Amino acid sequence: MNGLHGIIFSYEKESGLRELVEHRMPASIPYGGRYRVIDFMLSNMQNAGVTDVGIILHGNYQSLLDHVGNGKTWDMSRKYGGLRILPPFADNRKYRSGEEFEGKMQALAGVRSYLQEIRQDYVVLADSDLIINIPLSDVYETHLASGADITCVCTPNYKQTENATFFQLGEDNKVVKTLCSPKKPEGYHCLEIYVLSKELLLKLVDECEAEEKVSFRSDVLNGMGDKLDIRGYVWTGLAAQIRTLKEYYDRSMDMLDPKVYREVANAARPIRAKEDDETPTYIAPDSKVTNSLVADGCNIEGTVENSVIFPGVTVARGAAVKNSVIFKNTTVEENASISYVIADKNVTIRRGGKLNGHENYPMAISKNSVI
Amino acid sequence: MKKECIAMLLAGGQGSRLYVLTENMAKPAVPFGGKFRIIDFPLSNCTNAGIDTVGVLTQYRPLELNSYIGSGQPWDLDRDDGGVHILPPYQSATGASWYKGTANAIYQNIGFVDMYDPDYVVVLSGDHIYKMDYADMVAAHKRAGAACTIAVMEVPWSEASRFGIMSVDGEDNITEFAEKPKEPKSNLASMGIYVFSWSKMREYLINDENDPNSENDFGKNIIPSMLGKGEKMIAYRFAGYWKDVGTLDSLWDANMDMLATGSGLDLFERNWPIYGRSTSAPPAFLGRDSRVEHSVVTRGCVVEGSAENSVLSENSAIEEGASVEYSILMPGAVVKKGAQVSYAIIGEDAVIGENAVIGAKPDGSEGWGITVVGPETDVSAGYKLAANHMLNKTLKEVAR
Repeated sequence: MNGLHGIIFSYEKESGLRELVEHRMPASIPYGGRYRVIDFMLSNMQNAGVTDVGIILHGNYQSLLDHVGNGKTWDMSRKYGGLRILPPFADNRKYRSGEEFEGKMQALAGVRSYLQEIRQDYVVLADSDLIINIPLSDVYETHLASGADITCVCTPNYKQTENATFFQLGEDNKVVKTLCSPKKPEGYHCLEIYVLSKELLLKLVDECEAEEKVSFRSDVLNGMGDKLDIRGYVWTGLAAQIRTLKEYYDRSMDMLDPKVYREVANAARPIRAKEDDETPTYIAPDSKVTNSLVADGCNIEGTVENSVIFPGVTVARGAAVKNSVIFKNTTVEENASISYVIADKNVTIRRGGKLNGHENYPMAISKNSVI
Repeated sequence: MKKECIAMLLAGGQGSRLYVLTENMAKPAVPFGGKFRIIDFPLSNCTNAGIDTVGVLTQYRPLELNSYIGSGQPWDLDRDDGGVHILPPYQSATGASWYKGTANAIYQNIGFVDMYDPDYVVVLSGDHIYKMDYADMVAAHKRAGAACTIAVMEVPWSEASRFGIMSVDGEDNITEFAEKPKEPKSNLASMGIYVFSWSKMREYLINDENDPNSENDFGKNIIPSMLGKGEKMIAYRFAGYWKDVGTLDSLWDANMDMLATGSGLDLFERNWPIYGRSTSAPPAFLGRDSRVEHSVVTRGCVVEGSAENSVLSENSAIEEGASVEYSILMPGAVVKKGAQVSYAIIGEDAVIGENAVIGAKPDGSEGWGITVVGPETDVSAGYKLAANHMLNKTLKEVAR
């Protein structure tokens, strides 16, 4: 039914995410009590009827492979098409050095033969670390109706600005100016979701490769802005890029806003995550759980306030978890208390332990730590 | 391909004693425990026990059940060789007939069983909540060289006359079977779980079908007939948690058992997981002024009011100022602002209007009982539904 193909980029190393990326890529960071960040883009594509998706990978991608598997969660385990994992330099000798990609155009050149075989006429390019529940089918239809060469999703509500791209939009949402990493951001923040035809994509990839140009935003959006009809698709809903620990913390707390929760919970466009097969969560007598998100399989006997709790977490009697994000299977023992903490998987906070981060500098605890 | 053992799950019953809850779905599809359905228990037991081929015999209102089972993927039963198969009654060259009884249902599917040429067939019901290792029961059946093995559990003598009761000798060979005896000779109750050697079972099913006076039922016909012919039949003793949830009271009880630590129903135990098909909602959200105690919550629940001693299923909601106690909210049930729900079962996607009052605490009177609101019922604001009453989606109110 759909003529759209998905390409997801998952190669950025975000050192600003510190402990969270010790064992994983930004795309597979747990978010919102039961998701991995990449679940959002895969679900957006699934909900738009996209069945064929390639994920361009680089770096520490073991946990991402474990998570996406064969794509079954998003109905992308198909006889024809479906989910394809595109590890680095799959077919291009030039890029076998093991170095990171310098930009999207370089990453795409590395999978040139895959792009050639795409059976759809249009392609949507997106990052794996964007938390958004957007109707991509509408972006696609808008693109077709406008006759633009490239349609870029952008938002006037931006929080993250570092190393970002901004647009000024003119009549009919035409991009009249592109600013890369401006000191003073203004206009619309580019969310790096692009729709264009397969034909144009291949042409751009070849042109850039020949001229050793590597970046989509500086070499295509900015560099060819006068030759191409580039238009913005303005999105005002939830859109969170996670590039630093502080941003991760703040965007996690955003999920406690009923408006954001409802956007993620939208039954018409569900965000699908790998099934955890956990039993429901038990909340004991004399416990107190308020303003929090609590996933399945938890046993809560203490206090939980303003927090996001992943599956299988235990908060023992007398323990207090406040303003924190607690990953899978972590245990907070009796009378321990934590605040402004991001505790990774399988952490144990021993009986009576006290840990406090700060609102502006949350404390992150590495996987498997015992404190 | 040949299988040593397959399971046949009897899921065709209406479950009429669940009244409004099964008006539009078969009993095995009734939600249980927040994110499960009753059928998840036997299906998960099969997969955990290594039984990878399961025939599910359906008849009454199968739509919900069929779509729930789907390919069998949640229970790891989507297999090329074996897997879960839905077996509805069908038309044949000589005519068509509904499943006349539990034995007839399997008789009509002899062809399905023969495809796998099994040595043993496990016969299960779709209305029990329990965790049981069928592999261990099959091993006991093999050791004894039995034709039929029946799972039994000890029940209090005072309740024995409500069950099918087995009398056994010193080696647990079954010597007598009595369906709901007035004066029970034993307190070993049949759990409705059987292992048969297929060659024997096949022979008895055919003979039973040829008997015009038979009701074609395992408990009433097949078991007594095998005993009468002197077949080796043994009792397999089971001591864990087991509950038949065929009535509204027992369904409510079993849900409450999830909350009671001493009940024996431990769904947290990780070496025998119960699988189910779940929705893709975000985790439960407990609001600023919510108060939830001694309850279970699961994905998609949004609680702004209070819940105590309750089971809150997927996507259920309790709005501000509303309270729910000793109750079960089935998936998608919504309790609007200021409403009160006590000792009640609220069906799937039912909406309890603002300030409505559903059910009541036990007051010691004869007429007290659990209150039930059927699936998709839209209860208007301020409505009062008394204890021991039921309301369905046509808004017809009846006393239980």
